[in-house]
Amino acid sequence: MPRIIIDGQTIECRERVPVLQAALEAGWDVPHYCYHPGLSIVASCRLCLMEMKMPDPKTKELAWSPKLVPSCQTPVRDGMEVRFDSPLVRENRSHCMEYYLLNHPLDCPVCDQAGECYLQDYSYNFGNATSRMVDPKTKNPKKDVGSKTWLYQDRCVMCTRCVRFCAEVAGTAELCVTNRGNRAEIDVFPGIPLENPLQGNVVDICPVGALLDKDFLMRQRVWMLRSTDSVCPGCSTGCAIGVDHNEGRIWRLKPRFNPGVNDWWMCDEGRFGWKYVHDPRRITRAMIRRGADEERPDWQEIPDVLRFRFRAIEQQQGGKTIAAVLSPFMACEEAWLLAKFIRGIASEATLVVGPAPVVGGDQCFPRTHSSGGNGNGDGAPPADKARFVIRAEKCPNRRGVERIVERMGGARLSFAEFIDAAGKGQFAAAWISGGSPTPWVEKPLVQAMGKVGFVLLHDILPSDLLPLAGAVLPACAWAEREGSFMNHTGLVQPFEAALPPPEGAQRDGQYLYALSGQVGLYRAETVRAMMAQEMPEFAQVHEAPAAAEHAH
Amino acid sequence: MGRNWKETDVLVVDQPELNMAERLYLPILDGLRVTLKHVVSPGRRKRMVVQYPEQQRVLRTETYRGVHRLNRDEQGRVACTGCFMCETACPAHCIHIEAGEAPWPDREKYPIKFEIDELRCIYCGMCEEACPVDAIELTPEYDMVGRSRSEMVFDKEKLLAVFDATKNVKPRKNPAITGY
Repeated sequence: MPRIIIDGQTIECRERVPVLQAALEAGWDVPHYCYHPGLSIVASCRLCLMEMKMPDPKTKELAWSPKLVPSCQTPVRDGMEVRFDSPLVRENRSHCMEYYLLNHPLDCPVCDQAGECYLQDYSYNFGNATSRMVDPKTKNPKKDVGSKTWLYQDRCVMCTRCVRFCAEVAGTAELCVTNRGNRAEIDVFPGIPLENPLQGNVVDICPVGALLDKDFLMRQRVWMLRSTDSVCPGCSTGCAIGVDHNEGRIWRLKPRFNPGVNDWWMCDEGRFGWKYVHDPRRITRAMIRRGADEERPDWQEIPDVLRFRFRAIEQQQGGKTIAAVLSPFMACEEAWLLAKFIRGIASEATLVVGPAPVVGGDQCFPRTHSSGGNGNGDGAPPADKARFVIRAEKCPNRRGVERIVERMGGARLSFAEFIDAAGKGQFAAAWISGGSPTPWVEKPLVQAMGKVGFVLLHDILPSDLLPLAGAVLPACAWAEREGSFMNHTGLVQPFEAALPPPEGAQRDGQYLYALSGQVGLYRAETVRAMMAQEMPEFAQVHEAPAAAEHAH
Repeated sequence: MGRNWKETDVLVVDQPELNMAERLYLPILDGLRVTLKHVVSPGRRKRMVVQYPEQQRVLRTETYRGVHRLNRDEQGRVACTGCFMCETACPAHCIHIEAGEAPWPDREKYPIKFEIDELRCIYCGMCEEACPVDAIELTPEYDMVGRSRSEMVFDKEKLLAVFDATKNVKPRKNPAITGY
């Protein structure tokens, strides 16, 4: 590991990183706009300039070079000496900030970026209290660059991160810089709006309030949001995300840095895919049918009632007539608890992995520029070479649930075989777990379930199965549960509960915990420890690094 | 959760010892002396009591912190820009705002909903201080009644009406700041 000297302090850093990255990782607060570790380096913002010791051309002795060098473009070399804490560097920063704020409208009160804005932070830390600008500021109206994004051009600092993102990561290159000098602007080409499926990321990487999310626009101030570490349930990639919530509501999702899984990015499908959490049609109450009556039992009695029902069926018709469908939307812990419960009732009960929805094919990025316009054409790289992949499998945990069912052994059926068998009247009781945000119940399943004596429906949204169900348990959305998902590569990624369960409901984990005979509060970690004794793959979880690799 | 406390983190402070007079409860006489002084001087007492509502105190309209109002700009629109600064500053959490895109071309953002729970409010005036456009102000108005709690949650229309009713008593503080 190379050792470099910053401001007189020797630090060790990673090989082949820019000095800026090394300084940020060592705890220096170096201002920067254009540098982003996931994008190419342009060194255009000039905020991160530093002083460096270089050999004097005449005497060949090391001395502070009179010219400042950009720290983002200077790779670390063993023994190099640089400084950020010098009058020259400070002066450069304050002059740069003065230029940045020349035409800035200073509309922080109405700007959504306020609170997480690097113009605010840097002008507070490194800028000047007053502006010498006497001429009227250039007004530049906001531009509708895409269906999900506004561009407030007068707040832009021309760091071109968004342009580079579209060119390098999405590969669709919709954004460009038009004009030059102080008239430079970010814009889209006529007739080709910003419509790639990763466009939400340009809002994240914009260090100021120039690119804003239409979905989140003016809804909340960012300092009122609390972020909970989570994993996106949208597809089998399992991007690390933060759920930003307030007043029991999700307001937005943001990606977290998770090297090797999603790096810094996430797709729009996942980003805006949380709306079903607040769907008014959601099932929030448990129901058990007794004859023609629908009872709404207390959560305390539900485990006993259900255990009694399943036991009675096991004794009257045999354990082989009991089946459970474990949905790929369940967390590993919940699936394991459910499997344990069912197998505890009858060791010969059948376990089934629920249907994993697949939509189209994997979408790989970057798409090449030649693929045209909105990147829906060819030119996508193979999945193993891609910088970002949106998986076709639109569920988070198929692999985890499959692994659990496999490890439990005993009778197993595929979902199609299960429908067949149920249609022939082989089952007297079936636990059907759903939890999919999209309608998933199809006619064959409904017909087959008509032949099953006791159907327990465990789902999030109402479906055609609801009238058939002898008992209904509400499923919580992923943001209301805690647990872990196993992604397509087999990484077990834990997520925390951001929201309380909807009124009347209880967390799936909690009642499954009680059903499987445990007493007390469900905690995913405890359950994982129990699972790990049988399945060592759940002993190790993959967590995204707590401190991001870069400052912002 | 949290940090692990060590024995050395705890500072034990003993109460000061009482002296002889304190043990005999003598300092109470000090207080009684003040009470007695008020009892025996009717002139003083008379000055204290205001026969409300027949009599009303003269208020300093500039500084009195009574019911809130939402100021209007020069075109009669709500001056608030929906920046949530008052909601952020409010120690009683009595302000609730929902912001949205303004329907006017010259303004970016405005409050779709603006509610103050006047029963929850502690009338500290922090909202007034926090407001970057001087849109929210406290008025000298203090006698307000309502038949229910929900009636005492003042919405945007009501707060604007308070402005219309009080703008002659207390004009808008500083329209120069806002530019309109």
